[in-house]
Amino acid sequence: MAGWGASSDPPVDDDGAGPAPGRAINACAARAGGLLPPLLFAMLVLGGWQFFATISNANAITLPRPSQIAAALWQDRSLLASNALITMQEIAIGYAAALALGVGLGWLLSTARMVERAVYPWLVVSQMVPTVAIAPLFVLWTGFDLRPKVLVIVLVSFFPLVVNTIDGLKAVEPDLVGLLRTMGAGRLRIFRSAQFPAALPFIFSGMKVAAASSVIGAVFGEWVGSSSGLGYLILTFNNQTATPEVFAAVAALSAIGIALFGAVSLLERLLLPWYHGPRG
Amino acid sequence: MTARLTAERIRKVFPGTGRSGRATALGGVDLDLSAGQFVSIVGPSGCGKSTLLQILAGLIAPTSGRVLLDGHPPARLLGALGYMPQKDLLMPWRSVLDNAALGMEVGGVPRREARQRAREALPRFGLAGFEDNWPAQLSGGMRQRAALLRTFLGGRDILLLDEPFGALDALTRQGMQGWLLEMWQQERKTILLVTHDVEEAIYLSDRVYLMSPRPGTIRGCLEVALPRPRILAQTLSPAFLEIKARILGPLSEGGLGETVAGEGPSGGLGRVQRSARG
Repeated sequence: MAGWGASSDPPVDDDGAGPAPGRAINACAARAGGLLPPLLFAMLVLGGWQFFATISNANAITLPRPSQIAAALWQDRSLLASNALITMQEIAIGYAAALALGVGLGWLLSTARMVERAVYPWLVVSQMVPTVAIAPLFVLWTGFDLRPKVLVIVLVSFFPLVVNTIDGLKAVEPDLVGLLRTMGAGRLRIFRSAQFPAALPFIFSGMKVAAASSVIGAVFGEWVGSSSGLGYLILTFNNQTATPEVFAAVAALSAIGIALFGAVSLLERLLLPWYHGPRG
Repeated sequence: MTARLTAERIRKVFPGTGRSGRATALGGVDLDLSAGQFVSIVGPSGCGKSTLLQILAGLIAPTSGRVLLDGHPPARLLGALGYMPQKDLLMPWRSVLDNAALGMEVGGVPRREARQRAREALPRFGLAGFEDNWPAQLSGGMRQRAALLRTFLGGRDILLLDEPFGALDALTRQGMQGWLLEMWQQERKTILLVTHDVEEAIYLSDRVYLMSPRPGTIRGCLEVALPRPRILAQTLSPAFLEIKARILGPLSEGGLGETVAGEGPSGGLGRVQRSARG
């Protein structure tokens, strides 16, 4: 009867226990197919832009055509690349610091109700402070180097990480904690086996939001005081009314943001296969 | 080896919040299970069956009364008995195999060995070939079997099962009952099963306790003298039907007499009664 149970009780999708390769190929095809619509849409928008800018005979300073921007991208590629490297370095350090601070603080706050009640409102307040306005102070305090940029990035991107970590650590089902206790589990075991895994999807959501804001933070940081980086480059190009080049730098910045977001999403898929796997 | 479970005058009063005052969930419950017995508690929903099981599992403390293991109050009740809550509570981030091995892992069995033992047990629990699947990919019956496997592998001699088949359809349920009997006979465990299904209780048990609605008390206790191994056909035998009538009598008196019509407990009983007549 036991042997029968397996086959007479089919899982919800029929290749549930079947060979994985077929499914993997399907998933790849689906992923590639998923990319097609947004790419088509982007081409449509760019084509419309190109068309409109051409027939209205717009000045390249006011509204450059996509073709002009592409030309600027190619022409200034080494300048863009060297400055992108600096901005990427700021983002990498700032993002890592925000991640450590955000998850660490979230964990700390989730361990004691009193600590959370005392600190949480001030974390919210910290997000109401206009970062752009106080960024010059960072330059005053820390100097002209990497540090003020990292500080701004941390300030604008740690918040979603704290909030999501706190929510995630609370998301574990109380009954599951009870079950573990009847198995004789202690606090550490409950954290390791239930609370932390249940929090991971939340933490990854926070990481995705933080990925986007960290790029904005880097630009703010560079605008306040800097002599290199893509944000600095945008200011310089703007002063020279080199609009196609401004757009080119913006495109490069966006690419960094998309790459970071993509890397986090990929990591999530690798680390949390159960969260993205077929849910039946 | 712990095998005998005794509950003495277990009372549980919840403090209550706001307008609803103190609520007495359990009003003095006595139970006695000897080694290797299969015992069921039948009662309408809301009679405190789950609360009683949580007290026996050590998750909540009784207001008064005590739980004895082999005749003595244990140093620590929490962790002494195997407990399976109503929900399967499989961890979505663990494969079926790792879920099954959870109890052993928490109990200190090295991960490799725990997985090995779980792998060997999978076929008997009808889960062969599904070790690497996520719980979300399983059907309801298979999820329940995985949760039962986890409970059996936990290594406790006494198992508390809280309506393990409550969420399953009638056919799956029937299959699972027969299969649970098989597992119980193979593993020689002491089982306390909570259910609101009278037929299920009789079919599986050596003894059936009847519980009254809030405050929950033991209304009666019936020894089921049907021969083992049990087969499904027995559920239609005169002996079986007689036991069923003896259980349904007091249950319906208590259930319908003490609660307002239309509320959960009486509704639950009415359903059982109808199925008895049909």
